[in-house]
Amino acid sequence: MGIISVKNLTYSYDDKTNAVDGVSFDINKGDYVTIIGHNGSGKSTLAKLIAGLLEAKSGEIYIDELKLNQENIYKIREKLGIVFQNPDNQFIGSTVKDDIAFGLENHRVESSKMQGIIEEYAKRAGLEKYLEKEPTALSGGQKQRVAIAGVLAMHPNIIIFDEATSMLDPKGKEDIKALINELHKDKDFTIVSITHDIEEVLHSDDCIVMNKGKIFDHDLPEKIFSEPEKLRKIDLDIPFDLKIVEEFKNYGLKLKSKTQKEMVEELWQYASKN
Amino acid sequence: MAIRFKKLSYIYDEGMPYAHTALDDIDLDITEGKITAIIGETGSGKSTMVEHINALLLPSKGELEVLDHTIVAGKKNKGLKLLRKEVGLVFQFSEYQLFEETILKDVAFGPKNFGDDDATAIKKAKEALKLVGINESMYETSPLDLSGGQKRRVAIAGILAINPSVLVLDEPTAGLDPKGSKEMIDLFISLNKDYGKTIIIVSHDNEMVYNYADETVLVAGGKIIYHGDTLKLFNDETLIKEHHLLEPQIVTFKNQLKKQGFKVSDDIRTLKDLAKAITKEIRK
Repeated sequence: MGIISVKNLTYSYDDKTNAVDGVSFDINKGDYVTIIGHNGSGKSTLAKLIAGLLEAKSGEIYIDELKLNQENIYKIREKLGIVFQNPDNQFIGSTVKDDIAFGLENHRVESSKMQGIIEEYAKRAGLEKYLEKEPTALSGGQKQRVAIAGVLAMHPNIIIFDEATSMLDPKGKEDIKALINELHKDKDFTIVSITHDIEEVLHSDDCIVMNKGKIFDHDLPEKIFSEPEKLRKIDLDIPFDLKIVEEFKNYGLKLKSKTQKEMVEELWQYASKN
Repeated sequence: MAIRFKKLSYIYDEGMPYAHTALDDIDLDITEGKITAIIGETGSGKSTMVEHINALLLPSKGELEVLDHTIVAGKKNKGLKLLRKEVGLVFQFSEYQLFEETILKDVAFGPKNFGDDDATAIKKAKEALKLVGINESMYETSPLDLSGGQKRRVAIAGILAINPSVLVLDEPTAGLDPKGSKEMIDLFISLNKDYGKTIIIVSHDNEMVYNYADETVLVAGGKIIYHGDTLKLFNDETLIKEHHLLEPQIVTFKNQLKKQGFKVSDDIRTLKDLAKAITKEIRK
């Protein structure tokens, strides 16, 4: 069983259509998993079900082998942190430091230990210089870093990013994506990222594609992107580097390289031969 | 010329200790009938600039010509209501402003506010909703029951119902999923090409700007740094670096090809055309 195991999960907001419809999957410990799909595909509902913010109509969810139910919900919430879409809706403290401290106070961490924990996780999220600042005075990307530091300080095993970059400007987006990659490096956490950013998927270990409440595909990112037409049928696309390969193939050139730098060299070799 | 800024400055809280010059002596002509993008970092003055175009803000110094209107700093300016009918401003996250109980009523609010009787306002609202692709069967539903992309299109219909000839959109694709973004882009291209509307887009999305804007204005520190052909701007590596602009992906790839020794024309906009040109060069 994976660290997150979902079995035949169904949820409906209106009792007419199922927003999540008979979904089953396992997520391995330490993996970085992306969940993609359009608005209304059920991906955010899925995240809320896993976090115990919504209660499933039927089916089961296991987090670290504990069944998600009324009895276990608080134990499970300690294992799991969520970063939401809009950083402005998540602040409680009047300084970055207070905001990170909020979760710790809630978990009755001794105040003598708190300062050390705050500093450690602020550093991990690249915020050591901003501890005394007001969160609202920060840029979008920095605000989202505060939310992430607050989550990290709780020592979760699993972090869910629910479209955590979609409201940020391009720099903020890159900033948070870089931080997620950094957090994934030592595999201390299992990361689940609900995202619209197709480029982000390439950095993940595993990808789930949702469509109309069901799992459309669940595979390694390169496998998912190996069938562009299948994705395009549900209005999704492939990352830019793979589009390069696709376009050159249309003109009869089959590129073997993976990165842009290698592609350019490969093309140059073709040019030199002729 | 549709819109002309002449030595225009705008100072927030003028005369106060914390006065801030958001626009600093700018001259700018925005061409009628085109899609013009306005880009620049957060705080550069982009939004202040577009809020002048329908006289939401009035200049502290200098003047502004918009269509047949002239707005001069320090003077009592007449006819601003008429101007606001001719220039429609769609704010960022405009869907938050929907308030009526049905979609049709929400869209009809604008024309009614400008003096149309109920029947005329409803007629205009229906035309605008058709333009943004909202189906008749949805007219009587609540705007709150729509998806994010649909809500935003209803908000735009509310502006289109007053039939402006200039449409200013602040971050029209922000927060939409890829499908919603694509539909939004198709909408403003159609409003430009099929209905001849002048489109001004404020955006952080340089991919979209590169692909669809005829002209681009780069704003930094309240000044105009560049105004002209979009492709030319993004081909200028120095300007891009100096102003920390995110390069569109295709530009990064084009630059790598150039550095390797390929001849790449600056006019190439799409990956398809780039692949075609490079393959041709290889097989020469």
